[in-house]
Amino acid sequence: MPRYWHQWALIAAAFAAVILMLVLPLALILHQAFAQGVAPVLEALSSSDMGHAIRLTLVVAAITVPVNLLFGILLAWCVTHYEFRGRKLLTTLIDIPFAMSPVVAGLCYLVVYGSQSLLGQWLSDWNVQLMFALPGMVMVTIFVSCPYVARVLIPLMQSQGQDEEEAAVLMGASGWQVFWYVTLPKIRWALLYGVVLTNARAVGEFGAVSVVSGLIRGETLTLPLLIQMLHEDYNTVGAFTAAGLLAAMALITLLLKTVLEWRQRV
Amino acid sequence: MSIQVENIRKSFGAFTALHDISLDVPTNQLVGLLGPSGSGKTTLLRIIAGLERADGGRVLFNNEDVTHLDARRRRVGFVFQQYALFRHLTVADNIAFGLRLLPRAERPSRGDIRDRVRDLLGLVQLDNLAGRYPAQLSGGQKQRVALARALALKPEVLLLDEPFGALDAKVRKDLRRWLRRLHEQISVTSIFVTHDQEEAMEVSDKVVVMSQGRVEQMGSPLQVYEQPASRFVFDFLGHINSLEGLYDGHNWRSGDAFLRLDTQGACPDGALTLYLRPHEADLAAAPTEAAHLPVRVAGRSVFGGTVTVELEPQGWGGEVLEVELDRVRWDALQPDRQPALYLLPRRLQTVTCDGDLGPQVAPA
Repeated sequence: MPRYWHQWALIAAAFAAVILMLVLPLALILHQAFAQGVAPVLEALSSSDMGHAIRLTLVVAAITVPVNLLFGILLAWCVTHYEFRGRKLLTTLIDIPFAMSPVVAGLCYLVVYGSQSLLGQWLSDWNVQLMFALPGMVMVTIFVSCPYVARVLIPLMQSQGQDEEEAAVLMGASGWQVFWYVTLPKIRWALLYGVVLTNARAVGEFGAVSVVSGLIRGETLTLPLLIQMLHEDYNTVGAFTAAGLLAAMALITLLLKTVLEWRQRV
Repeated sequence: MSIQVENIRKSFGAFTALHDISLDVPTNQLVGLLGPSGSGKTTLLRIIAGLERADGGRVLFNNEDVTHLDARRRRVGFVFQQYALFRHLTVADNIAFGLRLLPRAERPSRGDIRDRVRDLLGLVQLDNLAGRYPAQLSGGQKQRVALARALALKPEVLLLDEPFGALDAKVRKDLRRWLRRLHEQISVTSIFVTHDQEEAMEVSDKVVVMSQGRVEQMGSPLQVYEQPASRFVFDFLGHINSLEGLYDGHNWRSGDAFLRLDTQGACPDGALTLYLRPHEADLAAAPTEAAHLPVRVAGRSVFGGTVTVELEPQGWGGEVLEVELDRVRWDALQPDRQPALYLLPRRLQTVTCDGDLGPQVAPA
């Protein structure tokens, strides 16, 4: 426990900052949404644009999370189980999405896969459209959320060592059996934690998706993009309803994350 | 099953862990690989298990080359220093792990697996802990579970890497006696790695002393202790006192002290170091014609029937010497009443100026 008044003051300042910057805005979102009662909120929720945005957001997350789950496990396994040239480089490269602004990522994808590029042209000849459509949005979402699983797993796998895996091999386990019966149970909570983080990022992504979506109403608007659109249309109730929905998803994620962190420690 | 290691070499980058190691372990023997950390003993064990690949040389089980056989097909039992128990499985499931992975044709029925686990738990005296998880066990219990697990597939080769390294002294002692007895009960060829001299001496049929990636000596515990092949072996097995002085063909001198030594010409004149084991000397109130080594008692500690005495050389030598005397002998000497005390070595190991071991001698 703190013993002096200035220590208490620091703690109070921290609380004040958290309330002012994090809790208050969140509370205001809900307040704004319900400012004119429940009926307009329900109406906004039942609009076809909103329904489409919710479905699209969930579809993008549903594709992104499993892909990044596999990618993260693969990467963490390689980095912690094999000694090879370029291992350090690989662990640095996976941090690129953390370091780079999502908008830049979106633009990069647009340049590479858009119809102006050679690759885009070629794909277009085959009637494949990546940009301004679901595939492009999934691709950039995968890009921005790909480091989470690997970043959670690598330090854990390093600290756990390989004794248990070696013991299993000496008892006749194949590579797949070692992974399934020994490694996976060892990392399961961390893995779920990584999934929760990836999901949160995938659901909330705005910048990169905004660039490659083309903002086609009723077609390529995810929840974050819809909020922006409704806000620009002065549809306050709609914007704040969507925002409240997104915030609720975030809070559930946060709750899951806390539970998983607790489980991991046990 | 016998184990042969032929000319095994292994490097990690610029560091050579093993230089050309050859070893022969007859069926059902228990061999201790003894050496300081960094001597390559664990690397050698891992190569025998197949967990590490040698740069050159061969490993044979029963004269059959297994050098290129995958670790999972070698069928060795292996016990890790840090136990390596599966933390998410109970004790019983840990032990049954290997049995359940067997291909269907070889796999015992559920009931047979249960019986086998029960037998193994009985063997390691942990019958009532079957349902516990590793985190709920003490270190000694974990190590016994690890051993039971390693024995589940009835291996003919059992390898143990510092099996008692992480345990406290009392548990260590109990466990190693128990391992010795266990080894007599079951027929298995075992190699265990240790840096603890006492452990190697007590448990092994044969001791392999290793240093810097080389085998210094292989022999029975008594053999390596009584007839060390090199200065390293002598040094490593128990405490030694080192007496440095000059030899003139008849007498060894250092300051006021001298010893009359007949080395029958084996030691050249000049610098001569003598190694003295703590239990191979006596103390007396007067010097003899052959030994004049005045000392003063600097400290003593009594443990059981033995008194360990620290002695400061008077007028010669440098470092404090350590000698072990029988307690009855020590009390009879009445050391507190003696104006001076003299060290009387019974047996000394000569070390010539080029660092080789010379003959063992006694003052006469």
